[in-house]
Amino acid sequence: MATPAVAISDLQKRFGDTQALRGVTFEVSSGEIFGLVGPNGAGKSTTLRILSTLLDADGGEVRVFGADVAARPNAARAALRYVPEEAGAYENMTGRQYLEFVARFYVDGAGTAGTVERGVALSALGDRIDDRTGEYSKGMTRKLLLAAALMTEPRLAILDEPTSGLDVRNARQVRDVIKDYPGDDRAVILSSHNMLEVAFLCDRVGLLDDGIVVDTGTPAELVARYAVENLEEAFLEATA
Amino acid sequence: MRQFLRLTWKEARELLRPRYIIPILFVPVLFVAMGQGIGGLEDELAREPTVGVVNNDTGQFGATVVDTLEKGANLTYAGTGGPTAEALNRTRAGGGEALVVIPANFTERIEAGQAQGRVHLYAFVDSIGITGIASSGRVESLLSAAGQRITLAVTGATPTQLAPIASDYTTFVRNERLEEPPAALSNVLSSQFIFIPVVILVVIVFSGQMVMNSMGIEKENKTLETLLTMPVARRTIVGAKLVGSASIGLLAAAVMSVSLFYYQSSLSFGDGGGEALGALSLGAVDYLLVGVSLFFSVLIALALALCLGVFAGDRQGAQILLFPLMILAGGPAFATMFVDVTTLALPVKAVLLAIPFTHPALAPKELMFGGTGIVLAGIVYQAIVAAVTIWFAIYLFNSDRIVTGNAGRLGDWLRAMQR
Repeated sequence: MATPAVAISDLQKRFGDTQALRGVTFEVSSGEIFGLVGPNGAGKSTTLRILSTLLDADGGEVRVFGADVAARPNAARAALRYVPEEAGAYENMTGRQYLEFVARFYVDGAGTAGTVERGVALSALGDRIDDRTGEYSKGMTRKLLLAAALMTEPRLAILDEPTSGLDVRNARQVRDVIKDYPGDDRAVILSSHNMLEVAFLCDRVGLLDDGIVVDTGTPAELVARYAVENLEEAFLEATA
Repeated sequence: MRQFLRLTWKEARELLRPRYIIPILFVPVLFVAMGQGIGGLEDELAREPTVGVVNNDTGQFGATVVDTLEKGANLTYAGTGGPTAEALNRTRAGGGEALVVIPANFTERIEAGQAQGRVHLYAFVDSIGITGIASSGRVESLLSAAGQRITLAVTGATPTQLAPIASDYTTFVRNERLEEPPAALSNVLSSQFIFIPVVILVVIVFSGQMVMNSMGIEKENKTLETLLTMPVARRTIVGAKLVGSASIGLLAAAVMSVSLFYYQSSLSFGDGGGEALGALSLGAVDYLLVGVSLFFSVLIALALALCLGVFAGDRQGAQILLFPLMILAGGPAFATMFVDVTTLALPVKAVLLAIPFTHPALAPKELMFGGTGIVLAGIVYQAIVAAVTIWFAIYLFNSDRIVTGNAGRLGDWLRAMQR
């Protein structure tokens, strides 16, 4: 049996008096785009941050391609790239310099140029790739960050609200890049409030509510299971 | 190692921006300008004044005044009798700064011994500035010298009789005996008492400010989370932030120190203090010890700033969080400037010595008077504090706090400071 891209079991996390996660459990297989869906404060970003090694779990286990993120964080980090919901780039670098900066952490000298060119193509920023990122719009920054995350072909791409705040054209470009990304040894896990986007992109979806996964399945399975017309209604039924 | 260098370069690059560099360069430029202004003033005061003189006196003392002015000034006009208005015009036309008019009864009044001989000094102040106003002072000095010559002539006294008392000095500084007046000691040591603490303060504040800026940029641009998920050990990130920020901070501090030194050099402290005070100067090993103490101070300041920067919400918030560090650095600097820490009451002394930034400011004084043991003990203490603060910074970077900014009541307090 193949090692899952992500294996999360009984994940617990508390912030002061708030129990943010109450035993989150799910798996993501290679080749999948897995959507984590839930209302504000359900624990999506917390789950993704623990998965990305940014936060420590209070309980449970999280593995990325078999590597325990608590015990071997750098092994997990080598396999994953994380694009936070409201991330930016270093303002004093051009887009290309930012891609080079990121690439050099993952690729040896000889392969850097090719990786950066892949990033330039993924970003679809054209000539603006040589402008300072401080001059970029939010959409351009988002595309640059997504390109920086995917150009090194990570085994796991973790995308928190990847199209948040983007216009229709930019959102479409970003979705197309994500849709084409998974392969035999690669997976994507994303969170989104946009149910149409989730239905379009995701092979499977996990419905998260109040710190616990209440259901998982393909969008079609969830729609059928709750006898509703679309994923949004399935989500409302599951979390009612 | 390559990752460390890459991150260090990234830190330096993000900080080498006009918005951070221009404010830092502004103060040194100000000091250099002030130094040049003061230097210009000294040059101006050293220059011979250009004056005119009208001698209406036929006696010997009027001639003495004219002779003194001829020797000490550039005489652009010298006349006898005639209207003052014409003398004023001619003096002014010749670039004169002042006109001295000696009245007809000048010698007579002095010889009678009942009243002072009076002259009238007309000063032209075209430049409304320190140099313009100071020019008439040089003419007054010449008149004072002329007065001394007249006194010698009237009384028949010698210059020694006019200043009959001379003092020899012996000053005991702690256990050192110096054949110099206390004022000379003050002149020589003023650089140790004032310059070194101020430089230490500047170095600590500038370095800390750069680390704070670095953290503020990361928080404001929301780049920190991406950075922390890269396959790099957190201690490498901490190290790169310390070295990258320190390189810019120390560069800024060096520029500031040089400008401060230039400014201080432009101030005249009078007598240098004589060779006897050479016994109180620092040797190469002493400077090395002061340098080591300063190095640990910078290290502690950087690590503390990094710890505080973890709780910064943005760039402005980061600047506010520098405040506790400024107090910690400023307190000892001012204390060592104005008092001898070793003479303070034990509790006050203990508090000051517990602050690691006190030690480099204290070191020159102690080394001057053989307190090498105290300095070495201070360095050991600083090394321990540096190790603990760096460990704590790495601990914070390895914890949730770097992302959440939560740290119980301390975190609440630090957030409240940034509102």
